Amino acid sequence: MFVFLKSFKIIYRTALVMAVFAAIAVLSVMPANAAKAELITIAVIGGDELTGNMSEPAAVFVDEAKKRLYVADTVNGRLISFDKDFIFIAALNHDNFKLPISVGKLKSGEFFITDASDSTLKLINIKDKLITAFNIKGLKAGVEKFMPGRFAMDGSGNLYIVDKLNKRIVVADKSGNYLRSIRAKGKGVYGFNDVRVDKKGYVYAVDTIGASIYIFNEKGDLVSRFGGKDAGLVFPVSVAISSKGLIYVVERYLSQIMVYDRFGALQFTLLSKGVTSGSIYHPSYIYIDKSDLIYTIDGARVQVFKEKR
Amino acid sequence: MLINICGKFSRVVTFRRLVFILPLVVFLFALLLYPGVGEAALKSTKKLCLNCHKGANSIISKKNVHKPVAMGLCTSCHNPHTAKNEKLIGSELKDLCFKCHTKAKLLPGEVVHKPVKDGQCLACHDAHSADKKGLVKDAGAKACYSCHPEKDIAGKKNVHPEVKKGNCSTCHASHSSNRPGLLVKSTKALCMGCHSSKSTKLLKAHGGLNVSSSDCASCHSPHSSDNAGILKKNLHKPFETGKCSTCHLQGSSKVKTNSTQLCSKCHAPTMDSFNKRYSHLGAGAADNPCINCHNPHASDGDALLKGQESRVCYTCHGETKKFAEISNFTHSKLEQCSSCHSSHGSNERYFMRSGVETCSTEQCHTTQGRFTHPVGKDIIDPRSGSALDCSTCHNPMGSPEEFILRGGKDRELCVKCHQV
Repeated sequence: MFVFLKSFKIIYRTALVMAVFAAIAVLSVMPANAAKAELITIAVIGGDELTGNMSEPAAVFVDEAKKRLYVADTVNGRLISFDKDFIFIAALNHDNFKLPISVGKLKSGEFFITDASDSTLKLINIKDKLITAFNIKGLKAGVEKFMPGRFAMDGSGNLYIVDKLNKRIVVADKSGNYLRSIRAKGKGVYGFNDVRVDKKGYVYAVDTIGASIYIFNEKGDLVSRFGGKDAGLVFPVSVAISSKGLIYVVERYLSQIMVYDRFGALQFTLLSKGVTSGSIYHPSYIYIDKSDLIYTIDGARVQVFKEKR
Repeated sequence: MLINICGKFSRVVTFRRLVFILPLVVFLFALLLYPGVGEAALKSTKKLCLNCHKGANSIISKKNVHKPVAMGLCTSCHNPHTAKNEKLIGSELKDLCFKCHTKAKLLPGEVVHKPVKDGQCLACHDAHSADKKGLVKDAGAKACYSCHPEKDIAGKKNVHPEVKKGNCSTCHASHSSNRPGLLVKSTKALCMGCHSSKSTKLLKAHGGLNVSSSDCASCHSPHSSDNAGILKKNLHKPFETGKCSTCHLQGSSKVKTNSTQLCSKCHAPTMDSFNKRYSHLGAGAADNPCINCHNPHASDGDALLKGQESRVCYTCHGETKKFAEISNFTHSKLEQCSSCHSSHGSNERYFMRSGVETCSTEQCHTTQGRFTHPVGKDIIDPRSGSALDCSTCHNPMGSPEEFILRGGKDRELCVKCHQV
């Protein structure tokens, strides 16, 4: 009987250890089945009688001081502003910019945009309704012509601009002086589609075709890269960083937001595919403000969400 | 008690006995699992079946006979009493052959020949007997030409000698391969197998440059062409006129600059077509993004595309292909991407050519938009606030529903917006 009990104990312990290993193995290979967190829809902005319908909006920017939301309503060729309750304030059209695909606001009060119609950076002085080209002084030439795409701004007002053709991120100060270039070396780098900077100065870039997220330190050295099937990414198009330092990636093909830690471990996913309010369909953009409100763009609408704690 | 039982068992079943018993048990078990054995108990029914199916004698008596037929195991494929399928086939035809010829063995590669993937083995093979080896109905190119018309493959002025001989299998695998086009080896290895890189003729034809590391099929048609040297149908002008130094450094295969500036020197206005809300500029593996899609020398397609249009697009949009493959219905022009999408850039979502008008303006569906459900920029989808267009209800990339609808046509689709 004692022999029987002893062998039962060994079998039991072995089974327990195997179960623990199996659980670890299962958890480590199941990014797609990661927990789904919930979001509360705060607002859906798609245009109304007052604003008119939006047409292929491409980016948003939140002025934290003034608590205002600015939307680049791209194909309508305008910038639209909303108050803290997402009530329409004003729209700005001007002959000198036609396709704003990225928007930011400098501390001087001027707006900064990328105009896709001529692939240039522009400064908009709202007060004087003056639009001027924003040239980067001392820009280190690449093999290709500088072709700006989306950009991000850090706390000091430095600009991090995607240079689409040269597959790099150009860093310039708020006066337009060239500071440095950030690029990923090696095979499998297909170019960047979006960029963000966190409060510590880390730079996050999305390589859509390479299905990868690159993380660079403030000096521009690559510190981490994750993506592909292991991370559950297929066609990431935009990235944003929360106040906790989590990385929110918009996955266009899966119509989801995938949330990762800095090591690329999938924490949870947000939203699901759909066209009704509270779901997203082939999203193209994400932005997170300082109060952790999440702004997404899919189709012709901007949706604002808050995480359910 | 338990120890007692275990003790007795170990005395009866000694290790030596186990050595004999275990393989026997495994063999019997495997025999039971062998397809058809369990049901037919390996009993030949040939005589019985031929009592009535006298005409079948001729179809089962050719030189090479399918093994179960030779063994008289008609019931391994046919059910003598009743079946859901034609000819009393026990399983659906698409699954039948794979019961014995397992996919793992038969299809080791990722690229699978379509009829094989669809289980249409009988398109090439005879299920009973055939005069040709491998039970193929026709040998050599004749078998291939039944689907791939001879005039498309070998119908041009200059024909590749292997094609002329009908030796398709010199380059292509018939079931599966790990290379596009079901190639048995890389194009480089295939071509260099016959055409030595040191051949003076080859060197002379390429301006003295050693092209052994190039992909020959990027410029040459491997089958036939009206151009000399079996060059592809459309040639880039500097290449056609032998002005290599327009793009390359004199006497070298190196390009003057590995960037769009090489192309924009002549194609400057084209660059403006990328200045759109949605732009394809810059994304891709090549340093010169033009080369991601275009071949700077020769192509069988329009606009010197690198390959068949959809193949070029699927290089980056592989998920679209996967989705289409698992869909019951897809748009008839799915493989002709540019018939709906503007490939350089567009201000319309999904790079559409003309937004909501794309479907009707392309002279494909000219009437639908006029008399069916209203669509257009002023008709708003109540769910999303976006303008209603054809793709609100239809998914051209694929759908389980007929007419590539996004829901069942009787109710499911309509109630998505029209709540009852």
